[in-house]
Amino acid sequence: MIYGFAWDTSSAAAFAWSILPILGIGLIVTLEATAAGFVIAMLLGLVLALLRRSRLRAIAWPTAAAIEFIRDTPLLVQLFFLYYVLPVYGITLPAFVTGAIALGVQYSAYTSEVYRAGLDAVPKGQWEAAVALNLSRVRTYTTIIVPQAIPRVLPALGNYLVSMLKETPVLSVVTVVDMVSLANMIGDRTFEYLVPLSLVGLIFLILTLLCSAGIHLLERALPKSGIALQ
Amino acid sequence: MHWTHYLLPLLKGAELTAIIGLASTALGAVLAFAAGIARVEGGRLLSWLALIYIEVFRGTSLLVQLFWLYYALPLIGISFDPVTTGIAGLALNIGAYGAEVVRGALEAVAPQQREAARALNFGWSHTLLRICLPQAIVEMMPSFGNLAVQNLKDTSLVSLISISDLTFRAQSLRNVTQDSVTIYTMTLIGYFAMALVMMAAMRWLEIAVRRGPAFPRSAHG
Amino acid sequence: MNLIHLAGIAGLAVVTGLGAAQATTLDEVKSNGYIRGASANEVPYSYMDESGTAKGIGPEVATAVLKSMGVEEIQWTVTPFGSLIPGLKAKRYDFVAAEMNILPDRCKQVTFTEPNSSYGEGLLVPTGNPKKLHSYEDIKKDPALKVAIVSGADQIDFLHDLGVPDSQIVLIQANADALSTIQTGRADAYAATELTVSQLVKSGGTGVEQAEPFSDPVIKGKPARSYGGFDFRTDDKDLYDAFNKALVTFKATEDYKKILISNGLSPESVEAARTKKMEELCAAK
Repeated sequence: MIYGFAWDTSSAAAFAWSILPILGIGLIVTLEATAAGFVIAMLLGLVLALLRRSRLRAIAWPTAAAIEFIRDTPLLVQLFFLYYVLPVYGITLPAFVTGAIALGVQYSAYTSEVYRAGLDAVPKGQWEAAVALNLSRVRTYTTIIVPQAIPRVLPALGNYLVSMLKETPVLSVVTVVDMVSLANMIGDRTFEYLVPLSLVGLIFLILTLLCSAGIHLLERALPKSGIALQ
Repeated sequence: MHWTHYLLPLLKGAELTAIIGLASTALGAVLAFAAGIARVEGGRLLSWLALIYIEVFRGTSLLVQLFWLYYALPLIGISFDPVTTGIAGLALNIGAYGAEVVRGALEAVAPQQREAARALNFGWSHTLLRICLPQAIVEMMPSFGNLAVQNLKDTSLVSLISISDLTFRAQSLRNVTQDSVTIYTMTLIGYFAMALVMMAAMRWLEIAVRRGPAFPRSAHG
Repeated sequence: MNLIHLAGIAGLAVVTGLGAAQATTLDEVKSNGYIRGASANEVPYSYMDESGTAKGIGPEVATAVLKSMGVEEIQWTVTPFGSLIPGLKAKRYDFVAAEMNILPDRCKQVTFTEPNSSYGEGLLVPTGNPKKLHSYEDIKKDPALKVAIVSGADQIDFLHDLGVPDSQIVLIQANADALSTIQTGRADAYAATELTVSQLVKSGGTGVEQAEPFSDPVIKGKPARSYGGFDFRTDDKDLYDAFNKALVTFKATEDYKKILISNGLSPESVEAARTKKMEELCAAK
């Protein structure tokens, strides 16, 4: 019994059916972690991208180094770092929050590159025209540059969302009770790992296919020239 | 404990990480080419099988794949030692991503090349090996470089199936000494160093491939 | 085409090669020169010390018993507690020396030797025991309380039998994570055997203590008492019989008592381990 749901090991099908509700509870945690992590990645990535574009070497260089460092080190180790090191300095965050932050930080390194590429791809002429029209930097960004960058950026961000979804099982290592954690729990108690783990794999596959289809639709629906932010 | 005490165990772990990383990247490359070529050149059946392999391993989580190979597979009689399981899991995963890169690059080869090959009566394998692949490989290298680094990072997950890699050693040390800050910092730096080496190697490979047979230099050699 | 043929053949060869594996026998082990054992790194039952030597009740008794059987070397694998039995069944090692509690469910999966140790339960709590927890039952009194246990450990069954809901249970990967889990307040208590808890405190854990007084959980009318044994694959009859016989002989010696006492067991627990029978424990309901 977990969360009040008992399982039925009489046959593989019965077993699979009986553990679906349990895995469903884990699925909610998985989705929440992905959503939280993605929001952090999108925001932090934007900050990093803008810092990286700064004209001050003293800001751009360390930012670039930090982005490279985050990109090239494993999520698992970053997660352990946040989970065990922060409390040493007095910051003890719940496991879920730690996990979401770890996901967010790791993926912010990727999203910052996406933003950078998207912003760089906007034709130089746009910037020059904005200067000619005496628009402030902020207005230039919000009304001219960013809207044109969005169609290029959204599909790439969407792909990273799917990637992040598939990396959430790592959080189970720091006591976050997601789908994989529950599958392992069921396996530890019944000694039957095949059905729970296969089921979890199947659920991920379905989620991935759904998300990818969603991203394709989004890509199709977006006007090529960009969305106005006003 | 001073950080120098951690160096030896962590280095032993890093050695295993490097071995597993290289082995799985190499095996993954083989799988990538096999599946990618099957998708482009293979008949209906092969193309379908390759598609299923690619979609399953790209669409599910690597950790789930590793747990499945390590815990679930033995229940139907197939059990390897942890290191082999880890290498297999990593290779299957990165191979699926690589297969898409191979496929994309092969499909990007100008159709005129194939037409010309047919006109010259080149066989299927000759066309592939001498005409399409050399041009496609140059296209693939940057993405392969990214995948290689990704795979190196992914090796950290094998610590969760009892393999004494760098992450496992870090965890073990921390369990004994509770010195999280030093140990994890050293571990992160270790992976970063290995990633930089890997990226340099891939960059070198990229350049070497570019000087290969396919690229038209000037007509005078 | 050739590449694919080769791959297919190689794959078949690998799978058939593995399927042909049979039971491990004592002669095989002796001719190999070593046997493979598993530990869950839980002081004092079985753990690796700083030099990488296996220590604790399980490994120390196993070393003595195997020596008397003519097997000098043991190759140890450290693995998370929850994967001890699956790993044994997957032939990743030949026996488990983690002093796993002999439970009917586990007896269905593997064969246990006669009990090797006997122990009660305990709780690790922050210094001063702020939530005043003196038994597993006490966790129920406040739904906001969180108790940590190692994934796969039998404490989960005790807690479930007592009616503690899953929402109050935090699963950690290994015993070693327990200290930081309590120190950082991620859980209000850590439920494990009495020896495990006392060892964590002794290992220099700051800000934690063993809950005193403590009363064992009362399951089905009796205070729970656990008996640890060695696990073997049910197919390995030959190896198991030889080991079990040698173990029973060893249990009657003074050396056996010395090993257990030096690892923290009380003389009463040693006697309990000497007298209890494995069949009784596996048949218990």
